[in-house]
Parts: sequence; C-alpha cells; structure tokens
Amino acid sequence: MFPKPIEKSSEALQRTYKAILPIALFIWLLPLLAVMLTSIRSAGDINAGNYWGWPTEFNLINNYTDIFLNSKIGLYILNSFKVTIPTVLLTLTISCLTGYALAIYRFRVNMFLFFVFIAGNFVPFQILMVPVRDLSLQLGLYDTTTGLVLFHSAFQTGFCTLFMRNFMKALPFELIESARIDGISEFKIFRYIVLPLVRPALAALAVLIFTFIWNDYFWATVLVQGDHALPVTAGLQSLNGQWISQWQLVSAGSIIAAFPPVILFFLLQRHFIAGLTLGATKG
Amino acid sequence: MAHVSLQGVRKSFDSLEILHGIDCEIEDGEFIVILGPSGCGKSTLLRVIAGLETLSGGTVTIGEKIVNELEPADRDIAMVFQNYALYPHMTVYKNMAYSLKIRGLSKTEIEQRVQDAAKILELGDLLHRKPRQLSGGQRQRVAMGRCIVREPKVFLFDEPLSNLDAKLRVQMRFELRQLHESLKITSIYVTHDQVEAMTLADRLIVMDGGNAAQIGSPLEVYEQPMTKFVAGFIGSPAINFFNGKMSGDGSQVELVDSTCLSLGKNGLKKHGGSEVTLGIRPEDFKVVEDDQAMIHLQVDMVETLGADTLIHGHLGKIDTDFIVRLSGTHHLKRGIKLPLSVSPEKLHFFESQNGNRIQN
Repeated sequence: MFPKPIEKSSEALQRTYKAILPIALFIWLLPLLAVMLTSIRSAGDINAGNYWGWPTEFNLINNYTDIFLNSKIGLYILNSFKVTIPTVLLTLTISCLTGYALAIYRFRVNMFLFFVFIAGNFVPFQILMVPVRDLSLQLGLYDTTTGLVLFHSAFQTGFCTLFMRNFMKALPFELIESARIDGISEFKIFRYIVLPLVRPALAALAVLIFTFIWNDYFWATVLVQGDHALPVTAGLQSLNGQWISQWQLVSAGSIIAAFPPVILFFLLQRHFIAGLTLGATKG
Repeated sequence: MAHVSLQGVRKSFDSLEILHGIDCEIEDGEFIVILGPSGCGKSTLLRVIAGLETLSGGTVTIGEKIVNELEPADRDIAMVFQNYALYPHMTVYKNMAYSLKIRGLSKTEIEQRVQDAAKILELGDLLHRKPRQLSGGQRQRVAMGRCIVREPKVFLFDEPLSNLDAKLRVQMRFELRQLHESLKITSIYVTHDQVEAMTLADRLIVMDGGNAAQIGSPLEVYEQPMTKFVAGFIGSPAINFFNGKMSGDGSQVELVDSTCLSLGKNGLKKHGGSEVTLGIRPEDFKVVEDDQAMIHLQVDMVETLGADTLIHGHLGKIDTDFIVRLSGTHHLKRGIKLPLSVSPEKLHFFESQNGNRIQN
C-alpha cells in the first residue's frame, strides 16, 4: 500500500511525525491566525507595531460592528452575491449542456470543440484585461454587476465544461442508449437521467466556482469602479484610505467575507457522494 | 409481434467493415440467437437492428416497415443490455414505469402493466427498492421487466446473462425460455455461450468474422455444420479435425498417418481424390472390439467427470490432441490403445481450401 500508513513505521518516526504535524499546521494557518488576531486589535496596537504580541485591548465587538456601521460592507456583500450567484447558475447550466453534448454525441468536430474549451483555460486572463475592459465599455456593461456576471461566466465555462464532460463520459453509456430505446427524448434523458447522476460533480463545481468568483479581486477592480457594483473583495480595499490604513477593519471585513463560501461548502457537503451510479450496471 | 427481416446488412466503422452483408428472415414470435466468438460482429448486428448504429448498407425491416432511418425509439423494440443499464436513482417501479409515463399512458394502465410484469418476474416485493439494493439476478430481472412492460414488437438481448454466476445463469436461462413461451414476442438474443444458444434458440445465426456462417435450428447446426468454423465452434469439447485425402472413388479417406477410414455407402464420389478436413465429434465414438476398430487411439490422459469420461489421446503418428467422450465411467490406463469406431454418417467433411462442408 502506498503511502505506507504511519502506524507501520518505527516508534521514533511516529513520535517525530506527531510532534512535527501540529507545528506544520500552525505555520500553515499562521496567516489566517494573524488576520483573526488583527481583526480584534485596536488601531493603536497596529500603529504601535504590535502585530504579533498580546493585544492591549480586545475590540472584537467594536471592530465587527464598526465595519458594518462605518463602511458599506453590507452593500459590497450584496454586490458579491449579485455577481456570484448568477455566475454560478449560468456557468453550471451552460457547462452541463456543453458537457452533455461533448460527452454523449458523436459528431465530427467533437474533439476539436473539446480542445477549444480546454485551450481557453490556458489563456492567462490578465492578458485580456485591456480588451475586456474596452469591450465592456462598448457594450455598456462597464461598472455593472451584469458585466461581471457575463465575463466571469465566459471565463469559467471552459473549465466547467471540461469537468462536466469528463464526469458524464464516465457514466455507463448504455444508460443513455437504453433510455433512447425506451423512447425518452434527449432533453428528458439529460434532465431526468443524467443530471441526477452528476449531482456530486455539480455540487463540487458549485463550491469551486462560488469560491473562485467570490474571492475574485482582479476583474472586480478592472470592470467596476462605483460602490453600487463593487464586490466585497474590492470594496474592502476602500477601507484603506489615502492617509489612514484601518487594518483592523479590513481584517474583520475579510473574516466576514470569508464566511459565505465556507457556509456553502457545508450546505452542499451532503451532495458530495460517491457511487451514485451504483446499481446501474453489474457493479 | 412482428417479423424481422435483414437484407444485405452491412456496417463499417470508417474503412473497417464489421458486417459483410447479412441476410436473415426472422419469423413472428421466433427466438433467434446470434452466436459467435468475440469480435465476430454479433453485438454490432444487434445494435444495428436496435438503431443504435446506423447501417452502411442493406435494409432492416421490422413488421412491415423499413426502419433504416428510424430512431431507436420509433422502432418499437426493447433491449436488455449486458450490464442491465438500470436507472440507478429510480426505484424498481419507476425504472419500469418511466418509459410508459413518457408514452403518456394513464396511471392505472401503468400500474397494471408494472404489476403484471412484476408478477411474472417475481419482483413484487422489490418494487420500492433502488437498483443498488438488488442482487445481480434481481437487477437482471428488472432490466427484463423494463422491456416487458413496453409490450414491444421485438425483444433484443445483448448477452444478458453473462454477468451472472453459473447457477443463476442456468436458472435465468430457463426463466427466459418460459417467458418467451408465454409472451411469444419475437426475440433476438446475442451470446457467445453455446449452451445458452442451443437451449434458448428456435434458430441460430452462427457468425464468423462478420458473416452469417450458418442459420438453422440448433440441432441442424450441430449435426450438419456448413463450415469448418461452425463445426469447431459448436460442441464442447470441440470437434476433432484431421487432414486427409479422399480416395479416388470417394469410398474412403486416408489420414496423414495412412490410417484409412471407410465411408461405406455414404461415399462422396464427386469429391474423390480431393484434400479434405475430417471432423469427428468426441461424443460420436464407440468403443468396439479390436477387429472392428476404425482407429486405435493412443490414450494420453483420462478425465473422469462422473457422468462422462473424457479421453485425451493421439492417433498413431499424428500429434494433434484428440478427444473422445464416453458416457459413464471408464478406467483406462495411459498408453493403451483404445479401439474406436464411428458410424460413417457421423463423419463431417470440409474442403481443405475454404472449409465448406462436403456432402452428396
């Protein structure tokens, strides 16, 4: 068996392993810890350079209420939802359909199309910054959440299509043939037979895309300027004014902004199940 | 209920031709088994009939309608797949009911049909289970149930029993045959298992490399194999082949080691002097007195199976393994010479060149 289970190695190695593991974990989580710690500090502590030491006062409630009272974080979070949720829905819908077409239908340019979808993933999107900004200006989508939704969807669909296509390709093809012989229409095969079986893939993609879009900073700053459309990632930045940096508030805002993807993950967790197709075939 | 007619059915994948033109008339209510080794095109033929593969040539007619251009759904057929292809997220009931619902049948009608099928297949207690909670045999039955409820014109089976264990296979085979007796729906069944083929079929299509080598009843195919391939494929243990030469008047055949076998009054005059392959089935031998023996088998190994005894040996200087099957138990020592005889009508002759059967 590989990797060799730790229980089977020597006593000394096991002890070292057990000693090092918490240390590694601590180092790995240090940045997160720093943000949490900062979010309950006072501005004075930060200005005095007390970044890692014991806080002189605990401003947990203060900071977390301040961020809501003194910044537009509520609006920013709403904007983030307005961008993320439609993007996730649009991307999943499109990629399920394209994935189904690429996985199930045999047609001449199938492979070529599939490669086009994959190739799209290899274009570094930073290169596209200027043309996409120009395009969004010309289309009147600049500085709108709709613009962000459309561009995010366009960029995510490639990867999602690859993912869905491969997942659907792994379904027993006889299921589809059997349904066709049974006289079930193609759309119903897709909707009532294939979709229920790719639920784990959908859940995984939903979490992945949601997190990715929610955390996006690049397009949020490139395509949006006004508060009315600014997502939370870019919005937090505005807390650092030209003259004053309020790191304790930025940190508190960051912690709050990190919650939705985590909550979504736990909500969708029960859909991450292996073996939905068990029983379809001999098994 | 419908007859199925195949005329010059061809199928190619790109430049590779899989089916080289198959003709067959399948009668209404007949149980046809397509038999052949793997890669002979039998599954492709079935899929062509089902409409899952397009034809490259010829016509397929189901009932009175040429179905070449029809979608599988419009051909009024039902198919059982080798791996069952049950909808894993639906209960047994839904698996069977779904296609009926799509066809717009009334609820009571659906209920009626599913219950009937469940009764025939003894699935009554399982209707609310998911496929993953069923055993292999039960899944198999659900797959059949899904076909039965449709009441199609033709049943297609693609090696449906090959995933079951030996005991269950025998049982399901029996049930399949009974089912066919009661429903009398035209059935086309693909298998590579000759026991299945022999026991289920009204008629067999034996396929060899994309051609129908022989079409006939199981006994016809067994007793009068039309090619060397068919003779070798049907029967277990396999038929023994020898190369030999027909005497000038066709009254006897001389094997490579100069043993001569007399053909008695069944002589093949027309083929006198030609090179032939002689086939003798292991079970057609009789042990006789020394002076009446046609051949003497040098015994190499004896396998006692209880009901039968298989004797492996060779003929004089001919090295090929030779198998004789005698009923009952025989205790024979290695190395002895066993005097054997075969009645002349049990000898099968094939042309050495093309393997076609030689007969008067």
